Amino acid sequence: MKPTSAPSPRFTRLMANPSSGAIFLLVILIVVMSVAFPNFFTAINASNVSNQMVFVLLLAIGMTVVLITGGIDLSVGSVMGLSAGVGAYLITGGAPLILGLVATMAAGAFLGLVNGLMITRLGLPDFIATLAMLGVARGALFLWTGGIPIIGYMLPEYYVISGLAQPFGFITVPILIAIVAVVIVAVVLKYTSYGRHAYGLGSNPHAAVLSGVPVARVKVIAYMISGLMAGVAGMIMAGRNTTVAPTMGLGYEVAAIAAAIIGGAALGGGRGTAFGAVIGALVLSLTANAINIAGVSSSWQQIVTGGVLLLAVLFDRMSSLIRARSVRLTMRLAHA
Amino acid sequence: MSVRERLTQVVAIDGLPVAAGLVLATVFFTMTSPFFLTQENIANLLTQSIFIIILAAGMTFVLIVGGFDLSVGAATGLSAATTMLVLMNDGPLPLAVLVGVGTGMIFGIINGFVIAVMEINAFIVTLATLSIGAGALQVLTNSTQLTGVASPAFAWLTKGSILGIPSGVVITLIIVAVLEWVLLFTTFGRRVFAVGTNPRAAFLAGVSVRRLTFSVYLLSGTIAGLAGVLLASHLNSVQPGLGQGYELSAIAAAVLGGVSLAGGRGSVWRAVIGALFLATMAQGLQLIGVDPLWFSIVTGASIVIAVAFDRAVQKWVIKQLAAATRKRDVPAETDDLSSVSPAVPSTSGTRSSVRNTI
Repeated sequence: MKPTSAPSPRFTRLMANPSSGAIFLLVILIVVMSVAFPNFFTAINASNVSNQMVFVLLLAIGMTVVLITGGIDLSVGSVMGLSAGVGAYLITGGAPLILGLVATMAAGAFLGLVNGLMITRLGLPDFIATLAMLGVARGALFLWTGGIPIIGYMLPEYYVISGLAQPFGFITVPILIAIVAVVIVAVVLKYTSYGRHAYGLGSNPHAAVLSGVPVARVKVIAYMISGLMAGVAGMIMAGRNTTVAPTMGLGYEVAAIAAAIIGGAALGGGRGTAFGAVIGALVLSLTANAINIAGVSSSWQQIVTGGVLLLAVLFDRMSSLIRARSVRLTMRLAHA
Repeated sequence: MSVRERLTQVVAIDGLPVAAGLVLATVFFTMTSPFFLTQENIANLLTQSIFIIILAAGMTFVLIVGGFDLSVGAATGLSAATTMLVLMNDGPLPLAVLVGVGTGMIFGIINGFVIAVMEINAFIVTLATLSIGAGALQVLTNSTQLTGVASPAFAWLTKGSILGIPSGVVITLIIVAVLEWVLLFTTFGRRVFAVGTNPRAAFLAGVSVRRLTFSVYLLSGTIAGLAGVLLASHLNSVQPGLGQGYELSAIAAAVLGGVSLAGGRGSVWRAVIGALFLATMAQGLQLIGVDPLWFSIVTGASIVIAVAFDRAVQKWVIKQLAAATRKRDVPAETDDLSSVSPAVPSTSGTRSSVRNTI
């Protein structure tokens, strides 16, 4: 058999890096936008984008952890809304701010726990459990608020926490929170046994069970992380919007999944990084920003998010085909 | 796969629990509210539930094949919008219906192509098309007011009556009957079950898994288009967000009726019973004074309960079968449906990966 031209090792490595496509896309996006619109590459716009991307970024980090374990969390948008409602309600009722914020995050983590238990204890498929949670949490928020937005919880400190007030200049509190979250999740994934268990579970669930990975616990914790991130995002969004509308966070699960997948997380599990989620969220937010700057109606936003998600999975599929092909070629050459 | 065969036989009573539930709910609401079992209320209930019934019938095919379609709600909403758009621009009624159904078909074609040919997870693909469809509806309704078509023929589609039965219900009955016939008595239907039960075996038996998967999504999209046309006729106006959450109800209806999420099991009438059960609950709860906002919670919870119940029954059946096997033969390893299903090896080239289950 005549060995066909082998791909250069550098090319293979580049294609094997799941985030390389996203980074490439990002660079193209930035270059095109900077050339087309002079007010794109400015400090103010950069600050706008980074303040806007916090929500998708937080959700995408949590989603990445869930995707790594081989699951999926459809409920993040609804969980975000419901936990924001819990916090806002408490603060309106006179609870101290800190209690309200902690309750918001705890509500998110709790709903994540429920997701995890439905999946591990009841044996529901991941997407069914979280799809049900999507409906239930959204319904609960509607029912509870009676369709009327919650208002009157905006204490002065909340303006700072949500980034509406910017005492430290460009770096707002939400951006700091997001950075901390990225670093923590990155460290957990890379340097702790939990991280290794998560990757192991996602790559080969059967092997993970056989090698003694506490599979159920790893899964539940992944969903709790995702819920917690949704809670944090809800906390920031409640402050940013100054009201908790019953539709808060609607459709955010699409953006979160898209960002995670663009960032190199695989639907089949076992792949993904916190850094990739940042890239993915950046791509999505810059696209949204581009739409905005180009003066296109924001109604197009949802279409574009869906389109980007579709393109991302297509690209992911293509690159994994290329990867498989180059692996086959390398093996054939090694045998030759 | 004798275990699977036996299993299918044993669990063939699927749909009975929800049918019993439907009867019980009807009796309960008849006793608690004098208005429940009136002709007007029943006609009302049926007319309101036809959209979910139709969508659930289409969803049944997708679920049996082992797939998933989240985009049906958005496709319904967008089809309703395009139908209205044609009628408002004085297009003829047949053209409007064609455009509406065609809109749904486009969803089906995109979903089917990406899922069957590109072999990408059905779940993500239809989530993406959901987003695109809902966004497109938003864009359409933002620029124009989609309302008020004075076409008696169009209104008749749902508001007329045939032999005293609302015409929308009659049309739905016809759609359901045709779909059930296709599923049970045609080659296509047999293949749907074959692929859902074991895609690899189906492939080896000469079924083009790829083509079949594509057709099933095309069917689901087309059905969603039909539902959209009827919905436009029913409401005579289209708002942004129309159809949102219909996918949840359709899936809940099918799952309640015992259509298996793992594929290979289900039938159209069961999904219809599931949809009727949900509609009866919604209407009945409202009649006895429960906030209609509870409905989304009831739908979500019923999915969880139905799937957990289905799983428990399957587990029990497998245990029984294993026990029976053990009695007969030498001690045998039991098939265990423990929490982790072994991953489907993603060897490129095998068609089995078409079936993107979890």
